[in-house]
Amino acid sequence: MSLASEQSEVLIHDEEVMGTVVSFELYFSGISRDRARSTVAAACDQLHVVDGVFSTWKPESPMSRLRRGEVGIGEVPPQISEVLEICSWAVEVSSGWFDPWALPGGVDPTGLVKGWAIEQITHLLIEAGIDAGMVNAGGDLATFGRPPKSDAWRIGIQHPWKADALACVIETSDSVATSGSYERGSHLFDPHTGRLVNEPGSATVVGASLTVADCLATALAVSGEAGFEQISEVEGYGLYLILPDGREMSTSDIVFVNEI
Amino acid sequence: MRSVFLPNGFTTKRSVYEIRTERHGAWEMKRVWTVAVGAVVGLALVVGLHSKTRLSALPPGQVGQRSATGAAPPRSGSSRPAASSPPPGASNAPSRVTKGSASGSSSNSAVGSSEQYGYGMLSVKVTVSANKITDVTVVNLQTADQYSQQLASQVIPMLKSEVMSAQSANINGISGATYTSEAYATSLQSALKKLKFK
Repeated sequence: MSLASEQSEVLIHDEEVMGTVVSFELYFSGISRDRARSTVAAACDQLHVVDGVFSTWKPESPMSRLRRGEVGIGEVPPQISEVLEICSWAVEVSSGWFDPWALPGGVDPTGLVKGWAIEQITHLLIEAGIDAGMVNAGGDLATFGRPPKSDAWRIGIQHPWKADALACVIETSDSVATSGSYERGSHLFDPHTGRLVNEPGSATVVGASLTVADCLATALAVSGEAGFEQISEVEGYGLYLILPDGREMSTSDIVFVNEI
Repeated sequence: MRSVFLPNGFTTKRSVYEIRTERHGAWEMKRVWTVAVGAVVGLALVVGLHSKTRLSALPPGQVGQRSATGAAPPRSGSSRPAASSPPPGASNAPSRVTKGSASGSSSNSAVGSSEQYGYGMLSVKVTVSANKITDVTVVNLQTADQYSQQLASQVIPMLKSEVMSAQSANINGISGATYTSEAYATSLQSALKKLKFK
């Protein structure tokens, strides 16, 4: 894992999986193009496997069967317990603002699985010798290494309701997850009230692990201002919140780009 | 049964935060980019790759490398041979892929696949000229009810803005959320594939 040098080749790939498009932008110099390609293929295979295991839309997925009580936790692939363990941690650190157990219809780790899956394959890409890259799963993205001719990745944060503007641009060498009640209609569920969150807003979390960033972003989108301070205590993760009234809050570790 | 654990290296203590207000107003005024409700990030990548900015970040050898993936190798500042000739098979489907020409420059357009999204179905028509996307329109939109129609009609212009702006924005990616955008992205990608744009 390093910077993408002048000699780097780039490999771009888009994969439809997990209900979104996962985009790869990878820079490599020390490995062959075929090797890079086969690595991406393996990474995509892994995403499809994860989708098959965790999809709550596919009635026959192990996760769906677990939710219906047809099988026990011992009878499903071990990734499920691994992810549920991380979910438990996320429930604690988010003071319950993220709570897959409070969702109607049974435990649903969907809010974290995408980030988790992308993080897993990022490790795979690094191990295979990819120098730098970005994997973007429909707006939740992981970066590693450095992009060409730059020290950090510049990521635009889409504005939650203003059509013709980015909310801001940030610089990061980490992962970025954004969640908002405007996405996919209102699918954010407030575990404290048992209701869907309807106020438009946007919550972005930046940090090393996309798994953590993903669930904290979901938590922050649900909690809004009320959960900001609590969630900001997770060390190593920066928050950027746009409230329904247009106010913005952020932790001091978010690097905003003022000049493009 | 839940257990609590901390992933390696995490603690739960920190950090001052600041309140920032009114800042994104400045961004709107600048109108440096336009971006949509749907983060069509796959799309932004597809499109962004063809932008001058991104290409100039690559060594010249890269352009040839990318053609190995079936991509039409765009080079900033040069004319684009691939766009001026219709892709194989296009002549068999004139209603789907059209070639137009005006004053020496030519453009191609193609209609992408019909894609289902949460509350309906849409397909996207893209026009490419001189290696740039010059227009994106939704040519077919079916929704289950009027509310969805309304919602889609609000979202689609934003998606278009995002596609158009992604060609010039000096950013690596966009973080945001997806809704109708997935269907939009998928249809657009299939349209671009028909044009061998990618």
